[in-house]
Amino acid sequence: MNSPHDPVTVTIDSRSLSAARGATILEIARAAGLYIPTLCAHKDLTPYGGCRMCIVEVDGMRGFPTACTTPAESGMVIRTHTAQLHEIRTEILRLILSEHPCSCLVCDEQDECRQYSATIRKAGVTTGCRYCPNDGQCELQEVAARLGITEIGYPVYYRNLPVHKDDPFFDRDYNLCILCGRCVRMCQEIRTAGTLTFLRRGPQTVIGPAFDRTHLEAGCEFCGACVSVCPTGALAEKARKWKGAAEREVTTTCPFCGVGCQVRLQVKKDEVVGALPAEDDLVNRGQLCVKGRFCIPEIVSHPRRLRHAYKLRDGVLVDIGWEEAATLAAERLTACPPEEFGLLVSANCSNEDLYVAQKFARAVMRSNNIDTTFRLAYGASCAPYVEHLRAPATLEDLRRAEAVIAIGLDTRFGRSVIGAELRKAFRRGARIVTIHHRPHDLAQIAAHWLRPAAGQEGELLRELMAATAPAARGGRGKTTGGADIAAAAGTIRESGRTVILLGPMLLDRTDGPDLLRAVHAWAAALGAAVMPLPSQNNFLGALLMGAVGELLPGGAAWADTAARDRLARRWQSALPAEGAQWNSSLVGRGPRRKVLYLLGEVIPNPRAGAETVIFQNIFHPPDLTGADLVLPAAAFSETDGTVINGEGRVQRLHRALDPPGDAAPDWEIVCRIARAMGAAGFAFGSAREIHEEIATLIEGFDAFDAPARAPHRWPLAECDLPAAASAPRSDGSATNPFLLLTTNLEHTHRGFAMADRVAGLSRLYPLRVVEMNPVDARTMGIADGETVAVTAEGLDRCWPVCVTAAQPEGLLHVVLPPGELDGANPRRVQVRKCHV
Amino acid sequence: MSDFTERVVEARRVWEELAASRVPVITIGTASCGRAAGALDVLAAVEDTLRELRLKARVMQVGCIGPCYLEPLVDITAPGRPRVSYGNVVPGRVHNLIESCLVKDNWLPKQALGHFGEAPLPELPETPRFFDLPMLRAQVRIVLRNCGIIDPDEVDHYLAREGYAGFLAALGRPPEAVIAEVREAGLRGRGGAGFPTHRKWEVCRSQAGSEKYLICNADEGDPGAFMNRSLIEGDPHAVLEGMLIAAYAIGATRGYIYIRAEYPLAIVRLRRAIEQMRALGLLGRNIQGSAFSFDITIKEGAGAFVCGEETALIASIEGRRGMPRSRPPFPAIAGLHGKPTIINNVETLGTLPHILRHGAAWYRQYGTQGNYGTKTFSLVGKVRRPGLIEVPLGMTLRQIIFDIGGGTRKKFKAVQTGGPSGGCLSEEFLDTPVDYESLTAAGSIMGSGGLIVMDEDTCVVDIARYFLDFTQKESCGKCTPCRVGSRHMVEILERITLGQAAPEDLIRLQVLAETVKRGSLCGLGQTAPNPALTTLRYFRPEFLLHVTEKHCPASVCRELIEYRVVPEKCTGCQRCVSVCPTGAITGPRSETHNLDPDKCIKCRACYEICRFDAIAGDAIIIRSKRSVPNELTP
Repeated sequence: MNSPHDPVTVTIDSRSLSAARGATILEIARAAGLYIPTLCAHKDLTPYGGCRMCIVEVDGMRGFPTACTTPAESGMVIRTHTAQLHEIRTEILRLILSEHPCSCLVCDEQDECRQYSATIRKAGVTTGCRYCPNDGQCELQEVAARLGITEIGYPVYYRNLPVHKDDPFFDRDYNLCILCGRCVRMCQEIRTAGTLTFLRRGPQTVIGPAFDRTHLEAGCEFCGACVSVCPTGALAEKARKWKGAAEREVTTTCPFCGVGCQVRLQVKKDEVVGALPAEDDLVNRGQLCVKGRFCIPEIVSHPRRLRHAYKLRDGVLVDIGWEEAATLAAERLTACPPEEFGLLVSANCSNEDLYVAQKFARAVMRSNNIDTTFRLAYGASCAPYVEHLRAPATLEDLRRAEAVIAIGLDTRFGRSVIGAELRKAFRRGARIVTIHHRPHDLAQIAAHWLRPAAGQEGELLRELMAATAPAARGGRGKTTGGADIAAAAGTIRESGRTVILLGPMLLDRTDGPDLLRAVHAWAAALGAAVMPLPSQNNFLGALLMGAVGELLPGGAAWADTAARDRLARRWQSALPAEGAQWNSSLVGRGPRRKVLYLLGEVIPNPRAGAETVIFQNIFHPPDLTGADLVLPAAAFSETDGTVINGEGRVQRLHRALDPPGDAAPDWEIVCRIARAMGAAGFAFGSAREIHEEIATLIEGFDAFDAPARAPHRWPLAECDLPAAASAPRSDGSATNPFLLLTTNLEHTHRGFAMADRVAGLSRLYPLRVVEMNPVDARTMGIADGETVAVTAEGLDRCWPVCVTAAQPEGLLHVVLPPGELDGANPRRVQVRKCHV
Repeated sequence: MSDFTERVVEARRVWEELAASRVPVITIGTASCGRAAGALDVLAAVEDTLRELRLKARVMQVGCIGPCYLEPLVDITAPGRPRVSYGNVVPGRVHNLIESCLVKDNWLPKQALGHFGEAPLPELPETPRFFDLPMLRAQVRIVLRNCGIIDPDEVDHYLAREGYAGFLAALGRPPEAVIAEVREAGLRGRGGAGFPTHRKWEVCRSQAGSEKYLICNADEGDPGAFMNRSLIEGDPHAVLEGMLIAAYAIGATRGYIYIRAEYPLAIVRLRRAIEQMRALGLLGRNIQGSAFSFDITIKEGAGAFVCGEETALIASIEGRRGMPRSRPPFPAIAGLHGKPTIINNVETLGTLPHILRHGAAWYRQYGTQGNYGTKTFSLVGKVRRPGLIEVPLGMTLRQIIFDIGGGTRKKFKAVQTGGPSGGCLSEEFLDTPVDYESLTAAGSIMGSGGLIVMDEDTCVVDIARYFLDFTQKESCGKCTPCRVGSRHMVEILERITLGQAAPEDLIRLQVLAETVKRGSLCGLGQTAPNPALTTLRYFRPEFLLHVTEKHCPASVCRELIEYRVVPEKCTGCQRCVSVCPTGAITGPRSETHNLDPDKCIKCRACYEICRFDAIAGDAIIIRSKRSVPNELTP
């Protein structure tokens, strides 16, 4: 017998071919460039053998084995194209087409239809044209053309199934489905989400979530992996219908969170029509979450994109050119003393943008008053959170972990790529401990789901930390079943490599800073690595580029005079005389700014805190008169640059198309203003030139064209990141019946809530909606969708109610944009029905 | 071992005590077939009668002994006398039967079917031996030897009749020798395909690794087939002993019985039998002090026909949707949970104890070259004596249908072997020996053992449509030819039965059948067209009559027939008027009735009531709408 490692040699269509043992006939044929028609086979999925198009003849084997399922064995003699095979394949394809509306194969207008997508609205439902996305990606059309099918010869069955259009992002028309099972395998094998399955049998067989639920109800993550593999138009992106096939692809980094997934932007003419995961990438391994998969085109091609610069004159915005805009900005900024200047820059910007922005603040404005809105959202949690970013756990750590502790993390929508990794970890035997107060996706795979009582997350976490200490004695816990904590602690103690995932829960809480420090110490004691999972795609970059007043480019502290001197020499410029006097936690409560420059950021009511507001972003400002000068920025897809993800990997942004109208990259706008102010050192012609300057300051900040992309521990100096304390420290009157937990909205892009720009997302991330347990709602006589007034000391708000059993009794939950609400979190509140 | 031997001695004592019982023994067949015929009511009636007559007797429930047409069967054994069988016993007859036999000592010679004695009985001189009845005389009962004889819930009965002797014989030999014995015996899989059992075993045995599985396939799903159910209900330990032998031979440590949930009685019997095995030390670790450890789990199927296919069955046990996958890899190499797995049919397993007990040479005396041994069949349809039978392979269809089954009342037309996967064979094949190769050559298959006999009242187009409809509904939906192709075939066949088909449809049907047969993934799809292909081949004139003349010679296809009142015969009894659901038949009492064809929905109610109940009889006839030229009549 051959050894299991010997290659196999087979003869396919009288060609002798070799391949590794275990390869299927189809794989060998494909590698040799031989065409065998397939519909159900997909390179990432296990062989299925359902469509039967790839049948071949193999000497010595009975019948017609399928090339996709049959492993090659040495000496096999295989024929892939014989008259008999052609006859059977043609006949089978006719059978498929008899169930698939396929007028596109025989329609007189098929050429025009493909070219102009023009005839669709004239076509009837039973022809399939109405719901077929006609995106030029129909594999059925291709196989039919290859086999030369021009007529079907069977009566056509229109299955007359209802078209599912209720779910966000994609429609499902199972009348177009050929039951190849790719979506089911993708959902079960690769995503391990298990939303999709086959239902019923025989001619009634259909695909969908079990029990005919909607995708939303069935726990779908809307990762769109099923849509990507659908060989027909049965699963079709709503936003992409009839846009046709992409002309080119540009691989870049998704800007919507700190995981840093690689996406392939689908570009047609001057529009991004879609986004697909980069194949086999080392970060996301061919996966994306709902934001990366579906939201990019809707964000970058949004009708409210800024195309021109505007100035505010007599209460209205007036269209101006770049010349005037730069001059106007320079005028106001020149008149602004350093201590009265404030620059808020978005951590969604590239390193190059951030570097130029802080250079502008320091070298031109001579001010350290630069910050991101992170401190506005999370206040005192900021400093201990940054500690976790000095040595973050990597995805490789996660992929090797024996135990994973997830704190306040729900990966269903945001970070679902991490969720998929966790399910894979679960499948290979890793033990998962999850701490969350409500039902969430990780609960299904968790060895221990520790569910804290309302508001007791911190207490539970402390108990768990104590229980895992080597000297811990099995005392009974108070915050949840004590036995649960002891069992979870046992699991953690027994496991080797452990990774702690920091969900957003800790950051939001008033006791967050203490807990974050405690987790840091705990991780050190356990020998565990912590994955901080920042919600902003370039948060680490913002710190490293010195986009916070306390840190210099390269991560040195402002207080480090040697570093300060080096920087001054490199820039050939004087630096601010003072350290940072202002940061984003002072927005809305600090001293008034003379000029507030919002670079890719949005804050509530900016005019209240500033004399002049310069607003630079990709969308119009939320309040049209809230800015004196509005500058149009390029979106991430229209700019080159680099970003650093939560693991410390430097990754590229690639310009896929030109910015709309007058819009320009953020760095370019800043340079324009700096030059208008007569400053030297801002003559950058491209992001590459900026990158090269950064590289002279930061060791290991390597090549612009091909960054190493390896996780790197960037030096971040230990320094205080002071934050103004939230005004009322009291957690509300103890007699108030409800506990209100607020969560800062994470899913923002350049300060805008993504759900406001992408309709489908608003169904996944309800914003400013207070969630309430049905029992509480009944007691209060409140129905789903009604508005309630939530009041406490210093709080009086009206929000619509969403009644959901997921919410524990006595606990209310609301998601708010950063900076919208001050005060303790959680806090006790009163609720009454609001009669508006 | 000594414990077990002692237990066997004890079991023999129990069995002999029963044979020499001092009180009468009343034996009732209460397997599912008996219950369907009312055996539980009869059982209650027997117990009532015994109370009324203040008779002390032992009532024993047994499995199916075979002649289902005689159910419910009640056998009476008086002390010192052989057991005597009475058939079609309804509760109302029970009192008289027991009183006359056991009180009056009148053994009702006219009603007695047969006795179990050696010599003719003086009190019943005319009554034959039960096993000399025409239905049983030609049978060879090896697998079914205990069915209807022992109480399936009594492990002692099984032990007393050499139960587990085959397993102990196997355990005393190396596994390879067990496989060699089965190879010598020439045993082939009784599930339908007839693959040599030892070959699968050898492959599985030679696989590395200690984790292997044995699965008993009891997902009997063919319409009209009930051999496996009857065997499990009548003799569960035979199947379980077979599992022990197979598991020992292949080196499996864990076994599953995949059984349809629609067989509740069989499941109950198996559960009890498994408990008894445990108590006897026949399951668990180190069975009978050997190094062999084995345990059995029952997995109930959820009612999908395709789960009888072995890869779908495995998927179902694993908790996935029951859909077949392509082979290779074969389950013997990578099956349940990816481990080497052997799936044997109930009957294959039930045969093993006998081979191990008596040896391969003994087994080879039955059957023919290459097809040794016996096969059980459920003989059903238009045959006079339907039931469960076991015959040596190689017996002709004619012997089975006419000698055992008693032939058909009307003219024989066809026999369907192998259920929906098999084919319809015409009269010219009656002398075909029933073995794997001959049936395959004729275009049918052996299948698991369903034999459906049809007479001239059966329309073959309708039969083909029925089976195709069954398979298309049971298709798992995975592969295109089976899912879509069988649907198109059903539609064409439906059009033929509706008289809407064109001659090209027959060609289309043939092409489709070939495509589905050659293109489908699993056995279900590959064999689904067989009923259509064989009927097209052997009954083409009947298809042509439907297509060209719109005539159904069997008067079955509704759209092609009409109901008529024969004026000469009609007495005007109004029975038909009272049953007609649409008011199509009218007419005053004592005058010839009128049947309005526009209102008639061809429900057959009037026809049936006229045949069986009406004073006139046969005054309502079903006839073809069209007159037929003679040369086309088949």
